[in-house]
Amino acid sequence: MIWRDEYKIGVELVDKQHKELFSRLGDFIQTVRSDKEKAEKKEEVEKTLNFMGEYVVTHFDAEEALQKRYNYPDYEKHHQIHEDFKAEVADFQHQYSKNDYDEDFLLEFSGRLLTWLINHVASTDQDIGEHINSAKENEEESK
Amino acid sequence: MDAKYLNPIIAATDSVFQTMLSLEPKKKEVSIQEDLVTDKEANVIIGMTGDIKGSIVYSFSSEMALKVVEAMSGMEMQKLDKFVTSAMGELGNIISGKATTGLTAQGLSCDIAPPQIVTGKNINISSEADKVLMVKFNTELGEFDVGFSIN
Repeated sequence: MIWRDEYKIGVELVDKQHKELFSRLGDFIQTVRSDKEKAEKKEEVEKTLNFMGEYVVTHFDAEEALQKRYNYPDYEKHHQIHEDFKAEVADFQHQYSKNDYDEDFLLEFSGRLLTWLINHVASTDQDIGEHINSAKENEEESK
Repeated sequence: MDAKYLNPIIAATDSVFQTMLSLEPKKKEVSIQEDLVTDKEANVIIGMTGDIKGSIVYSFSSEMALKVVEAMSGMEMQKLDKFVTSAMGELGNIISGKATTGLTAQGLSCDIAPPQIVTGKNINISSEADKVLMVKFNTELGEFDVGFSIN
């Protein structure tokens, strides 16, 4: 995965987590695109996807806690986007085994995931950074 | 067809390429075509419903699609497989989503359908529209076209 400093939202914890998320997504995509035997590959696909999925939950929880702490006005909407994403990953995991670990199904899912996650970090999350940083400034001023 | 509907699509294309890929697409000529014929191999079609019924088609050369996905993933892409086309499909979906937000600002309420992918050479994408507005863009990773038709 390519990380760009332009993707930063200006909140240290979130930026650190986004980088880690990119790294885990990279591991997953490497596995998806490897030329391994199906039996070996499906195990690694599940492993790397779980590894990424665990971190997605950790990160979403932390980011949402920050949103609440700073009364982010779009909290509900953003929370729903996170919930939909988690549901989509869970649905993929279910369908992937049901589809007998179909390769095209896997490629389609992971390609969409790549673009989706970059856009979520690079664009959707930027408003959170702006909100938190201006809220922090206001807190400083009123001290 | 009113060209003002095209502006939110152009603005959304610019914005998404800049934030996601640090690329500045340079808008080249705008033309009006009878049919949507493209010489580019990777085509993403997004259907639109609501106040505007029609479709937006993003056409990338095979080379550009591979380069864009390489620029996102940091991995080498060799052919237009399902991973590449799906990643490009989502890119079209994101641009179109942003474009509908721009159209809302003009008082038009639109929804978009999930991306459809068509690959191959010299494709004629049939539509119910009799005119297609076509914008050509140039980027450091190659050229692409955005076609817009209203039924």
